[in-house]
Amino acid sequence: MSYLIASSLDEVLTSLRDGSGKARVVAGGTDLYLQDLPYGLVDLSCLKETTVIEQEDDLISLGSAVTHTAAASSPLVLSRARALAEGCEVIGSPQIRNIGTIGGNVVNAAPAADAAVALVGLGAEAVIIDIEGNIRQEAVENLYWEYNRSLIDSTREVMISLQFKPCMDGEGSAFTRFAARRALALPMVNAAARVKLENGLVKEIRLVAAPVNPAPTRLVKTEELVIGKPVNDQTISMVERSAAEEVEVRGSLLRCSARYRLHLVGVLVSRALKTAADRAMGQGKAGE
Amino acid sequence: MTLKTPEKSTRRYGKAEGTDYQSPEVWSKVTGKAVYGIDHAMPGMLHGKILRSPYPHARIKKVDTTAAEALPGVRAVLTGTELESKPFGIAVEDELPLAVDKVRYIGDEVAAVAAVDLQTAERAIKAIKVEYEELPAVYDPAEALQEGAPQLHDNFPGNVAWERELERGSSSAAFAGADVVVEESFTIPAIHPAYLEPISCIAVDDPYTGITLHTALQSPDAVRKIVAGALNYPLSKVHVNGPVMGGGFGGRVYGNLKVYILSAMLAIKSGRPVKIQLTREEEFTAGRPMIAAAIKMKMAVKSDGTILGREADIITDNGAYSGQAPWVSKTLSERNDSVYRIPGIKTRVRLAYTNKIPTGQYRAYGNQVANFATESLIDMAAKKLGLDPLEMRLKNCVREGDITVHGLQVGKCGLSECLQAAAREIGWDHKKAGHGYGLSVAIHANGSLVFDKNFRGASALARLELDGRITLFTGEQDYGQGTHGAFAQIAAKALDVRPAQITVESKETKTAPFSTGALAMRQTTVGGKAIQLAAEDLREKIFKAAAELTGEPVTMKNSVLNTMSGRTLELGEIAYHYHNNTSGLNLTGEGKFVPEESDYDESGYGNISVAYSFAAHAVELELDKTTGAITVNRLVAAHDSGRIVNHLTARGQVYGGVAQGIGMSCFEGCLFDEGRMANATLADYKIPTALDLPEIDPLFIEIEDPVGPYGSKGLGEIVMVPVIGAVANAAADAAGVRITDLPLTAEKIYQAMAGWECEQ
Repeated sequence: MSYLIASSLDEVLTSLRDGSGKARVVAGGTDLYLQDLPYGLVDLSCLKETTVIEQEDDLISLGSAVTHTAAASSPLVLSRARALAEGCEVIGSPQIRNIGTIGGNVVNAAPAADAAVALVGLGAEAVIIDIEGNIRQEAVENLYWEYNRSLIDSTREVMISLQFKPCMDGEGSAFTRFAARRALALPMVNAAARVKLENGLVKEIRLVAAPVNPAPTRLVKTEELVIGKPVNDQTISMVERSAAEEVEVRGSLLRCSARYRLHLVGVLVSRALKTAADRAMGQGKAGE
Repeated sequence: MTLKTPEKSTRRYGKAEGTDYQSPEVWSKVTGKAVYGIDHAMPGMLHGKILRSPYPHARIKKVDTTAAEALPGVRAVLTGTELESKPFGIAVEDELPLAVDKVRYIGDEVAAVAAVDLQTAERAIKAIKVEYEELPAVYDPAEALQEGAPQLHDNFPGNVAWERELERGSSSAAFAGADVVVEESFTIPAIHPAYLEPISCIAVDDPYTGITLHTALQSPDAVRKIVAGALNYPLSKVHVNGPVMGGGFGGRVYGNLKVYILSAMLAIKSGRPVKIQLTREEEFTAGRPMIAAAIKMKMAVKSDGTILGREADIITDNGAYSGQAPWVSKTLSERNDSVYRIPGIKTRVRLAYTNKIPTGQYRAYGNQVANFATESLIDMAAKKLGLDPLEMRLKNCVREGDITVHGLQVGKCGLSECLQAAAREIGWDHKKAGHGYGLSVAIHANGSLVFDKNFRGASALARLELDGRITLFTGEQDYGQGTHGAFAQIAAKALDVRPAQITVESKETKTAPFSTGALAMRQTTVGGKAIQLAAEDLREKIFKAAAELTGEPVTMKNSVLNTMSGRTLELGEIAYHYHNNTSGLNLTGEGKFVPEESDYDESGYGNISVAYSFAAHAVELELDKTTGAITVNRLVAAHDSGRIVNHLTARGQVYGGVAQGIGMSCFEGCLFDEGRMANATLADYKIPTALDLPEIDPLFIEIEDPVGPYGSKGLGEIVMVPVIGAVANAAADAAGVRITDLPLTAEKIYQAMAGWECEQ
């Protein structure tokens, strides 16, 4: 087997081409190394394009190989995309967060990956290049094929970055999760919310819950109910009910029953919305 | 009620002077230099692998090893039919090294191979073809005991591995005269000790010395006896040489006997050292968790809170083979009765075979399992009677001079002081609104005769080295509890030398004195007493030799001997003097501690131990009512373990035991799906992380005990016992409903509060 630490994006693409389907991209490797390894691995974690954290014009760009630790401690992410910081800071353990990446969290395609759920909540899109040099942009929630299987083919496609609009004045985001213990535990449910308020009323909203489907799932019906309303106790109760009604979930021996999971969807989505709205209203400071 | 308050803050109990000695042994661990079993390798060593049953219950029709044996690099292949072994076991002889006619659980050992590397061994295992005929299986122990259930062992009809019915005092009179009866059913899952280093063993077969097992064990002497029997070797030809142990917690008293026996058999067959190391998955699916239990218990109480009697019907889940489960079931079904003054008890306990993982033991030996039931009932009774749970416990808890319902003679006992100190420290009199509070108490024996009535104590040797240092030889193992550091302190006190001058040797059964093992909380009290006696004997011998050398009486202070005339002598000088006069011997003190007074009758009634330790824990927690999640904020652990030898390691014991108790209360348990363990990884078998633990406050109520060395008693196992009851009571206090099925997950608490029917 071979392991290449690529020094340019070109080198990544060339190596994948040369690998003819037997080489694949690796970033943090925290999930990949638990599986049977392929013939060749092309490490993209040392590239400028994949490790950048920046805001240009009205767009935040995070390289796909930005680690959870880097995302969770970035002042830009903390102030303009708080949900992502909250999602990244609860993944695994400190060791995993120091190595695991946000791109990997999406491409690994676990149904309730914390960073991925936060990214969908923020409305992030992935910038993807294939070995022929074609670049496309895709909403994160559209990158899932089935449970634990991404639409991104890592033997011929590379996610370069994730992009989304920063939370500006009057906007806030939040992430919530519930698990059997406080670290090193997959969530029974996780949720994210992004909300924009105008004159105290909801103008734009994204509510996301997982694991509901293979991909982090937007609660479109509940979102519609909230548009134009203030985020008060009545709205929060309505969201709690509606969110739980909108989705279907599975129970499992290892995590929890379907009924309890459904209850948690309501609780966590409404908690995320409440926190996001508090931040949107908070002292005129965006994203706080 | 008003609490009797000690003069000073109870926290001061933990701050005695000069008892925070840090044994140099810890440095090899914290600097990464310690060599654990999994680190070990030997020249020419082969790697062993075990083929395991994929079925919970099946007849073996044929095992074909031809392809495996033909693989290059394979040096030995073993199957059950070729071994012609007789059954072995710990409490019951119901196991064979490899299955012959039947497999009885998913993971049962069917064949074993040794090969030049692990990959070849794994390939060889896959190349063995086994034909099975599936048999109906039974997973629920209550179902297993019913007529018509699939039978696991021909010689254990009805799937009863062990049973006992016991009545002491008059329990029927107690219930007839009761003002209040509380009754509840409790279930507790199988709990794995989850030590971080999986079990491994390198077996070496030498034509001259015999078999040596390089593996870390809590009871090397007990294991070598069983292995010698299984191999049909003389006992003196089987040795254990222990590397550093990566956690035991009771799970390595006997460890995994199959691993030791099979590595030895492979070593004999191949003529090469063979290492078998379990994977984490094998640890879970073929390891030895503590038995699961279903306990129906009721308690008769007078209106003033006085306990009159208790009855219990207990079914424990043996899994496919017995291990220590009969003994654990016995302790589970009776030890807890002795923490209160209960005039009459009636107990039925049945240990049932099921097609699941065979079981072993865990810290506290089932005492903590029963604690969950007993302490829950106490709170239920107090609630029904409108009594303060603290007051009810103080009214009933055992005191010095009591003889308990099972005949335990309570010597020095600070249980009521523990209760008051724990309650005071948690803020029992000024509880925070909305928070849940719970109490629980415990008794645990310091070494128990029930392992072997004919062998009740411990022995040790203390040898003066030629450089004036002292080596202690003991069979008591230290795997992190701090036993050896404490032994050095005990001997140092007896000899008037510094602990750092003392080294403790225990790893090789060839040279170490015999020991029952690091179990039953016997090491400090029983093993430590032998150390004290050995050191005192050596001290006398040093004085005698010094008097011979100088012709005058001597005294010793700070490792230096002084004669009447003012001459000073170093210990090394005495050592050399004796060495030269005896042509090479070392001055050696012998310590034999033989506690004569303990005994028990055929029914198990009697004073089974030399001393008893006591504890009371108090918990304060918060409940998130929208999810049912509890956050244990604080646990105060008040312990009467006599005079504490080392406060540093004693606090460590409390932190560790509480962490394990929190794990069992809130997180842990083997989950099964049709006999297959569903959570067989450390990702899914959830032990608590540092973030999940409360603030832990150890309080030591230091009442000197006359038996143990310098007034001390044991502290290892008992720490875990009261945690579960205290957490369960605090959770019930906060939620207003009681969960009787461990662990106390958020889902169960929420379901109970919401009034949902249980579902999964």
